[in-house]
Amino acid sequence: MNTINKILGLGLCLFFSAGCKKYIGIPPPTTSISADNVYTNDATAAAVMTGLFINMAEYSYFPGGGYTSTGTELLGLCADELKRVTNLDNLSKTAYYSNGLYSNMINIGVPDYWGGTYTLIYSCNSTVEGASASSSLTPAVKQQLTGEAKFMRAYCYYYLVNLYGDVPLILSTDYTKNSLLPRTSKDSVWKQIISDLTDAQQLLSAKYLDASLQNVTSQRVRPTQAAASAMLARAYLYTGDWADAETAATAVISNGAYQLDSLNGVFLANSKESIWQLQPVMNNINTGEGRTFIIPATGFDNFISTEALSNAQLNSFEQGDLRRKNWVDSIVWNGATYYYAYKYKVTLASAPLTEYIMMLRLGEQYLIRAEARAQQGHLSDAAADLNAVRSRSGLPPTTASTLPDFLTAVLHERQTELFLEWGQRWFDLKRMNAVDSVMSIATPLKGGTWASYKQYFPIPVYDIQHDVNLVQNNGY
Amino acid sequence: MDFKALFMPVCAAVSNDQWSASNRWVTKTLRIMRLTAFLLMMTALHVGATAYSQKVTLAGKNIPIDKVLRMISQQTGYEFVYDPALVENLPVITIDVKDVPLEEALDLCFRGKGFKYTFKNNTIIVKELPAAVTLTVDPNVAPMLPPLIHGRVTDSAGKPLSGATVMVKGSKKGTETDANGIFMLKDVGDNATLVISFTGCMPREVKVNGRDEIVVHMTVSTSPLDKVQVIAYGSTTQRYTTGSVTTVTSKEIEQQPVSDPLQALEGRVPGLFITQSNGIPGSGMKVRIEGQNSLANGNEPLYVIDGVPYNTLTLPNIGYVLGGNGSNSGDASPLSFINPADIESISVLKDADATAIYGSRAANGAILITTRKGEAGRVTINASLQNGRSRITRELPLLNTKQYLEMRREAFRNDGLTPGPGDYDLNGAWDTTRYTDWQKVLIGRGTQYTTATVSASGGNASTQYFISGTYQKQTASFPGTFPDKKGSIDFNINSTSANQKFHLQLSGNYLVDDNQLPIQDLTTNLTQTMAPNSPALYKPDGSINWALDSNGNATFPYNPIAMLQVRDKRTTNSLISHAVLSYQIFRGLEFRSSFGYTNQHGSEIQTSPITVVPPAVQPYATRSASYGSNNSNSWIIEPQLNFKRSFGWGRLDVLTGATFQKNSLYGFSVNGSGYNSDAILNDLNAAAQVSPGYTSASTYRYNAIFGRVNYIMGDKYIVDLNLRRDGSSRFGSANLFHDFGSVGLGWIFSSEGFIRDHLSFLSFGKLTGSYGTTGNDQIGDYQFLTLYYPTYQDRPYQGATGLVPGGLSNPYLEWESTHKLYVSMDLGFLKDRILLTTGYVNNQSSNQLMGYSLPSIDGFGSVLRNFPATVENTSIEFTLKTTNIKTKDFSWTTHVNLTIPNNKLKSFPNLVTSGYAAQYVLGKSINLSHVYHLIGVDPATGVYQFMGLDGKPTFTPDPSKDQYVVISKDPKFYGGIDNTFRYKGVELSVFFQFVKQTGYAYPFGVIPGYFGAGVNQPTYVLKRWQKPGDIAPVMKFSTYEGGSIITSFFDAQASDGSYSDASYIRLKTMSLSWELPEKATKKAMLQSCQFFAHAQNLLTITKFKGFDPENQSTGSTPPQRTITVGIRLGL
Repeated sequence: MNTINKILGLGLCLFFSAGCKKYIGIPPPTTSISADNVYTNDATAAAVMTGLFINMAEYSYFPGGGYTSTGTELLGLCADELKRVTNLDNLSKTAYYSNGLYSNMINIGVPDYWGGTYTLIYSCNSTVEGASASSSLTPAVKQQLTGEAKFMRAYCYYYLVNLYGDVPLILSTDYTKNSLLPRTSKDSVWKQIISDLTDAQQLLSAKYLDASLQNVTSQRVRPTQAAASAMLARAYLYTGDWADAETAATAVISNGAYQLDSLNGVFLANSKESIWQLQPVMNNINTGEGRTFIIPATGFDNFISTEALSNAQLNSFEQGDLRRKNWVDSIVWNGATYYYAYKYKVTLASAPLTEYIMMLRLGEQYLIRAEARAQQGHLSDAAADLNAVRSRSGLPPTTASTLPDFLTAVLHERQTELFLEWGQRWFDLKRMNAVDSVMSIATPLKGGTWASYKQYFPIPVYDIQHDVNLVQNNGY
Repeated sequence: MDFKALFMPVCAAVSNDQWSASNRWVTKTLRIMRLTAFLLMMTALHVGATAYSQKVTLAGKNIPIDKVLRMISQQTGYEFVYDPALVENLPVITIDVKDVPLEEALDLCFRGKGFKYTFKNNTIIVKELPAAVTLTVDPNVAPMLPPLIHGRVTDSAGKPLSGATVMVKGSKKGTETDANGIFMLKDVGDNATLVISFTGCMPREVKVNGRDEIVVHMTVSTSPLDKVQVIAYGSTTQRYTTGSVTTVTSKEIEQQPVSDPLQALEGRVPGLFITQSNGIPGSGMKVRIEGQNSLANGNEPLYVIDGVPYNTLTLPNIGYVLGGNGSNSGDASPLSFINPADIESISVLKDADATAIYGSRAANGAILITTRKGEAGRVTINASLQNGRSRITRELPLLNTKQYLEMRREAFRNDGLTPGPGDYDLNGAWDTTRYTDWQKVLIGRGTQYTTATVSASGGNASTQYFISGTYQKQTASFPGTFPDKKGSIDFNINSTSANQKFHLQLSGNYLVDDNQLPIQDLTTNLTQTMAPNSPALYKPDGSINWALDSNGNATFPYNPIAMLQVRDKRTTNSLISHAVLSYQIFRGLEFRSSFGYTNQHGSEIQTSPITVVPPAVQPYATRSASYGSNNSNSWIIEPQLNFKRSFGWGRLDVLTGATFQKNSLYGFSVNGSGYNSDAILNDLNAAAQVSPGYTSASTYRYNAIFGRVNYIMGDKYIVDLNLRRDGSSRFGSANLFHDFGSVGLGWIFSSEGFIRDHLSFLSFGKLTGSYGTTGNDQIGDYQFLTLYYPTYQDRPYQGATGLVPGGLSNPYLEWESTHKLYVSMDLGFLKDRILLTTGYVNNQSSNQLMGYSLPSIDGFGSVLRNFPATVENTSIEFTLKTTNIKTKDFSWTTHVNLTIPNNKLKSFPNLVTSGYAAQYVLGKSINLSHVYHLIGVDPATGVYQFMGLDGKPTFTPDPSKDQYVVISKDPKFYGGIDNTFRYKGVELSVFFQFVKQTGYAYPFGVIPGYFGAGVNQPTYVLKRWQKPGDIAPVMKFSTYEGGSIITSFFDAQASDGSYSDASYIRLKTMSLSWELPEKATKKAMLQSCQFFAHAQNLLTITKFKGFDPENQSTGSTPPQRTITVGIRLGL
């Protein structure tokens, strides 16, 4: 038996020594980079923010481009900008169009703005954390990256707070801490937005940079100091901080890099008016807006081209408004004339890339400053800003002489200037307390019924179920 | 030497040197043949008969004794009762007597041969003479106690049996045979009895009677208890196993016209629940052994083919028409690349005792597939050809055009609307008198099933081979040709060295699958419920009919034929190879190592011509094609030491070994677009734009050591211990290794004297219990790492690519573990003609690795985490095998199995705050649906109404609280009944499968009355609400797609109204075969010839409201009913 024991023992020893940690340790797959390594290298660290812009340019749930331009389109349907013409089997469009959203609409395939936006916020938080912890990044890259991440985080929260009201404020990637967060008050979210943008203003490069974040480029597709100022102007405007809004807008307007472009030049790639654009990344289209809104010669189909400009939008243009001529086009289909947005002019798959997705532009800054100045009682300065926009469209100076009249004029100008741009109209109606009066007329025309609570979207039921501290918006 | 020749057939096993002294040899031979006086088995030759004579006439040369006895029996009506071992060992007889008295004839047969016979009623009992009165003691031999006896154990053909156990009865003395079947024992008493046992054979008891040389022929047991069962790293029998193992044999597999071996297991194994995800050839199978253990991760069993774990991760792919198999990212069933015809047996291992030796991979049980092996003897060539047709099992009753249009018009009336320009079905664009049964046209076509196999096997005592080739073709039920063609080669070589010490086994299985599929299953809402007056699919000129309106716009944009234009051609080459080398170091100790290598290579081309979209859309669309290439490799080396010894009161079997395994996968695809013609889509060079598709790369490494100790004492008590230490690359560095183990105990109480004496009707009784832990590492690779993936864009952003985070990660991942308890009792009655196994299973799975659901505010919806949650699976399993009738010409056997499973969430700390509160309920099944309670249609408004949690009816239930109805989709019980009848060469096998369960029925596709993509409705919508006051089960018809009707309609989809009884009894397999009589086959120069007809899913009895209660899908093809006929020839 001794021999047997020895042999068995030897065999076991052999097996034991063979069972080694080294053997089963594996490197990361050859198709990805582990989080430990991403922020140790300038190129890969920068690629995370590039990835985020790419995501926005094609991801259709967030206000971003993509094939169907869901961001602009759904918010346009939701407000009074669009009219559906063909409506075969598209529950998403129906739900937004009829202002008939409800909390588990994701169950029937209707997209929400919630999850996708928080996914972008994750990348921003990851970059803020990763860049600050890294000791191997080039300082300039680290600074720009942190600036881009904070800018984008603010941009995302700007949408969340406008779409949903109070929202959980997630500022780290630590899901163990974030999972049960309740909603943070709108005020605090706005404070965070302004704080992030103020930081971004300091951190971001004044010049446009390329994807390496180290070389200057003419491509206006990454946020800059001016972009941070432009967003800051928006944030101050929305929070009623008129003086700061004016200051921030002035920083952009007085920046020699930006000028009001000709109406047909505004949406071209790297136009003089653009403060920040997204470069389209899909082969078959220029911008999602161009593909979605321009109705082809064959007329409406049941797939992409399903809606025209609403009568409310169409009728909002004053007599002689060049925007009516240059930014609106029409088609005769089945004997009737339909009008559609023609800000972006390329729809064909085969066309070369000439248009970029506009994110921030100078025209809006004039309107922000006009409103901010008016609110501070500087009506003549305000009128000058408003008229800068009006004159480009061939319109006479404004006649508004009181603050209420002037605010009405600004709202109207925003409607004709910023229509079908990222839900500006939807947010303006809410911000200027016009949503109930406008939508109680518009919604029935769209086949729905309006109620004031509908100005905030329902929080997806999935999140209500998975975060016990999350409370649904009233009415849902 | 005539004498020698005469005895040769019987004595072939006796070594040659014994021929040296022939005289001595004869006496010895006869002594050897004196076998136990115990009657092990009764052989009834003929029963009854009173009018037989008492005289016999016998004549013949070299007649085997059993034939002589049969002749006597025929003439006299007496039955003989004897130990069949006598028959083997008695010499042949040359006799010539006429009308001699019975006793005289018997004397002639037995006189001087050491036997006596006694009459008892109509029976003649033949026994050996007690040793004391042996007449032929040779004084030269064995005058004293021999110091050493030796002997040889062979099978009935004389082939040595290595590893047979030889025990001295009533002592602790024992040994086992070496590679030549030789054994030696010291100090064995002259009157001692040896007990010889060998897996799969009847145990034998042999009296020594003073001999020093003993030859024992073992006969293969006819009892199902002694059928060999393949288990992990070895084999056993039902008689001696302490684990829960069920074996399905090639015979049961052959009877079923299926292309995936898993399909052949449905309903046949207690504790095994298989669901076919759809009826398209090659589609996925959901396989659950003893319930779902893991809340969120893989619940797939471990598949092992000829000892080599089989990688069940299917290759990545572009298309997705085949259904999923439950957990993997892949779609098709990986086992569909194993040819059922090459399978010898499939063992399903369930409890800890059977599976713990597989450690971290066996929490969900293991399925062991053993391929065919060659047998020594003349070359046998078998050929079989089978051909048949398939059709879907069931259809939905749908509205005809008249009913459909009536519904539409009523919908418009209800809404106060008139048909608009888009309402083609009503506004004159489409012919309102046209009717097509789309179900029949799109998925109801019969499909073809053909399979042909040729195999050859043979060899000699030292080398055996088996080789077979199979061709199989199956088509899908869609219009057009979508064949799945497979060709395979399987071979196996076994070789043993002359000294029997070195053994080599080599096997390989190579299969090429060419599967052509559309990318969409036409069994979707879209097509199965197309408006019955939809236009024809094709125009008269054969082109796709878009039914263009005057503007050139398609009114029939969803023409399903267009979808079939996108084709997916997938070729898969699969190689499974395996080698085992073993060397016997010394008697009892064997070193062996298995080497396995598998490779799967898949290539795929998916082409999308421009004709997929209507002409008006074509300028905005582009032709495209995708090309995929994937390769997966795995190798495994498992060195093992096996030690077998008999000592103490029984026999010991010790196994120890190690595993080194690596799987790697690499695959990618390329997309092309902008081709200028549909004819050149297969050529990437013709693409104007080329872009990368997916890339996947992963590596999995696995390392383990394992051991097993098995001890069987006195054929009564069995102890089985298993241990395994596992390491896997799927876990974080802190938790790389884990230990698993089990203990199994068995007591064969029927071997106890008091049972034998008092409960003689009990032929077998065994009580077993096992307990142990197993693990589950089916969580995918790299889960512990946070990974950032490159994003490819057609137009790189600023000329650069980006990185996007792939999800949240957790570096502390640990194993999921399952504690398994199994208790069972095996009972055999009437000489094992009735065998009943009753088992109780209790599996507790804890440390659940879950994709822990997170609110989307975390950026991603989930993260993998170990939960202290426990899932309990209990089940009670019954297997009953009876031989109801068994005569020479007719037999009837019945196999019944029944499983009563119960799955529940036993504990889940902090369930309320875990994010799973809405999904799981403590104490209930983990396979739940939370739904509203549908009250019905409100008589006043015709809209669905629900009962809120507050007890008040509501039209708008609140999803955060009103989904309080909990429906379990687990089966309540399931099983199968197999009856096999055989009359001479004709065999009929009828197998019913039954399941009791609740399922998601065909509920609410789209609002009845709405027009769009899929709009026809089952006929039961005719029972709709029409006017206030109507009590109806179906809502009012409406064209409306928004507002309250749509919400209440979709809420009804998510209500208990969508569920129905999905129980079914299915005539799963019916097989009729006719084996031509020997005379006829001889004439045709054949060894054997069999004609057969097989049917699968022939009949389904169910109340299910929907397509098929098995896959319960309205979006994928139901399982197929297949009927085939064929012929099997042996040359």
